Amino acid sequence: MTASRQMKLGAFLWATGHHIAAWRHPKAHVTAGIDIDHYIQLARTAEAAKFDMIFCEDAAGLREANVGIASQTSRSIGFEPISLLSALAVQTSRIGLVSTASTSYNEPYGLARTFLSLDHLSGGRAGWNLVTSASPIEAANFGATGLKPHADRYERAREFAEVVNRLWSGDAGSGHDGQSFSARDALDLPRSPQGAPVMVQAGASDVGRDLAARTADVVFTAAQTFEEARAFYDDLKGRMAAHGREPDDIKIMPGVAPVVAQTETEAREKFEELQALIPDDVGVALLSSYLSISDLWRYPIDGPLPELPESEGMKSRQALVVEQSRRDGLSIRQLARHFAGARGHWRIVGTAAQVADELQARFEGGAADGFNVMPSYFPGELDAFAALVVPELQRRGLFRQEYEGRTLRDHLGLKRPG
Amino acid sequence: MAARHRGSRMGHRMHLAVSLTIASVPGQASPTFGEIAAVVRNAEAAGVDMVVIPDSSVSGEPVVHPFEATTLLAALATVTSRIGLVAAASTVAHQPYNLARRFASLDIISHGRAGWNATMTQAPREAANFSRPEGFSSDDFHRRSQEYIDIVQGLWQGWDADALLFDKTGGRFHDPEKMHLLDHKGEFFSVRGPLNVARSPQDTPVLVLSGLQEPDMDIAARISDVILLDDEPAEGAKARYADLKRRVAACGCRPDAVKALTNISLTADDRLDAIAGRLAEQFQSNSCDGFNIQLPARLSALDDFVAVVVPELRRRGLFREAYRGTTLRSHLALAAGGDQ
Repeated sequence: MTASRQMKLGAFLWATGHHIAAWRHPKAHVTAGIDIDHYIQLARTAEAAKFDMIFCEDAAGLREANVGIASQTSRSIGFEPISLLSALAVQTSRIGLVSTASTSYNEPYGLARTFLSLDHLSGGRAGWNLVTSASPIEAANFGATGLKPHADRYERAREFAEVVNRLWSGDAGSGHDGQSFSARDALDLPRSPQGAPVMVQAGASDVGRDLAARTADVVFTAAQTFEEARAFYDDLKGRMAAHGREPDDIKIMPGVAPVVAQTETEAREKFEELQALIPDDVGVALLSSYLSISDLWRYPIDGPLPELPESEGMKSRQALVVEQSRRDGLSIRQLARHFAGARGHWRIVGTAAQVADELQARFEGGAADGFNVMPSYFPGELDAFAALVVPELQRRGLFRQEYEGRTLRDHLGLKRPG
Repeated sequence: MAARHRGSRMGHRMHLAVSLTIASVPGQASPTFGEIAAVVRNAEAAGVDMVVIPDSSVSGEPVVHPFEATTLLAALATVTSRIGLVAAASTVAHQPYNLARRFASLDIISHGRAGWNATMTQAPREAANFSRPEGFSSDDFHRRSQEYIDIVQGLWQGWDADALLFDKTGGRFHDPEKMHLLDHKGEFFSVRGPLNVARSPQDTPVLVLSGLQEPDMDIAARISDVILLDDEPAEGAKARYADLKRRVAACGCRPDAVKALTNISLTADDRLDAIAGRLAEQFQSNSCDGFNIQLPARLSALDDFVAVVVPELRRRGLFREAYRGTTLRSHLALAAGGDQ
């Protein structure tokens, strides 16, 4: 195989699919959230296609406060990801297993121990996606009366990540006694088979980027345009030297929501079929939650997005949505549908060659090290990506034919921590 | 249902749990997942009700665990099909919402075979690893544990069994009337709910309580499905068992709604062929509903136990021939276990 740089691919598994109306699609597996065999099948599909990893998002609470809206989506129930990935660990043999877990509602000792256990069960294939949790719905499940300010959450996250890294390195020394956390002992599990589980982050705000530059191995992002993706890529890699790290020590993997078929017409029809299944109230509610405002439904649905106050929630994503709305002159309804389909991520509708062209352009243009693939519904759209796009990328020498090693660090070409 | 509590225990069958010993001392080789899975499948072939996976050491001795208990349970669930799987998880190490989710999810992964082993005794060193160097006072730990368990059990009931509609054409994934907020506000916790995991296939995961002191017995009678009690001399054990069943009845439940299992700690010196007789005698003296066998720190001890002791108990008519149902509740003959 060629020694040239190849892209990394994550299979982002989520409920019935990433499209908000996925569960209503005739071919979507509607009982995904209570069917472990469905997830085992998805993991094996992704592994057969040589994906670097599967990735599970998480929230410790409902996604949507409005019960009527929530009941029209499949996102209120699902597996808890640590238990899900632990089950998948012994039903797969090569693919990486990455889950989100919050620094706001866990303790570093317990989280480090749990992920290290997953790492042992999988023979060195585990990764942790650090999030600070921006949702007031989650906060209410943990005794918090209000969401903590953005900067406070990130200071807690910084200390949390530091403690976790020390525990994983076996260098717990005399323990930790800090601002938010204390832990006395070393972990009672052996050292990770890959040195330490892989550390993933997704926060794209200024303070989030600094934390990633310091500690992350992989960064997931949302970027609609090439320019946004390239700007983020350059900025993050540029911050790393200050922390004594080399640019290649982080793999930047933007989310991509492909809809792929044998012909472009077929792909467009497939996408329109999904869009038609989105109820207006669901689309607006989803958009509202990304903008961290609760009363978007008060504004005329065919009018423009109102001026928004700066939020304590997801700063970076809010800016992205607002920019897109202004740039394309979209109404709330148009924007809601547009975002409902891909959750603010980059969407490509077309043939395998068209999808591969776009991925290649960003990969070779210095805007990505790989992609976190977000199939619109399961299992069909993961199957389609594996059957159509992966072989096209392999044919172009852009993606591996076989796994290079056994651990997630091996797949990602990451250094083993000392 | 069989008639309960006749004068003798004729026809009564005992329940058998086995504690899985996976900890090792530093320098000693830890068991692999494959080795652990093999002995659990052996226990399953023998019809054992459940294995109990302990977690962190409470002794303060340095030990190495190959895996954390809940993650190991999830993995074991995919390579077994009938045996109950119970993991210890600490109320200090987890937030109640997270723990409730983990076990609700494990119960779905195992198709209704999961249980949570909660202890009412504080592990001496543990809190210091969870940002509470001072620990909890004994009174606080006690009240906190009760509140914690109430929250977890409440969250497990947040979704009605028929809440999920999966109605694609009507656009109704679930029935909002059948999802319930917990809205708990207590001394130690405030948890709004609901859980974001569906209802358990066995109604709720099985709650196994251990580390109980006498003052805990009313709570245990009210909230637990199984209690693990330390062995004690015959007269005391019989009185304790009768007292527990009275307390269960006083809560408005059938006396057999809580199973009391006596911890039997086997040492490497015990002769296995004598164990069956000892268990039979204890069971027939009305001192318990069965046993939780704690084996020497050697994984293969479980293989020896199921090869020697279980067949002998079965020969005496004291242990059932095979699983009758598919859930842990059905193995334990607990309500809502489905096919019993």
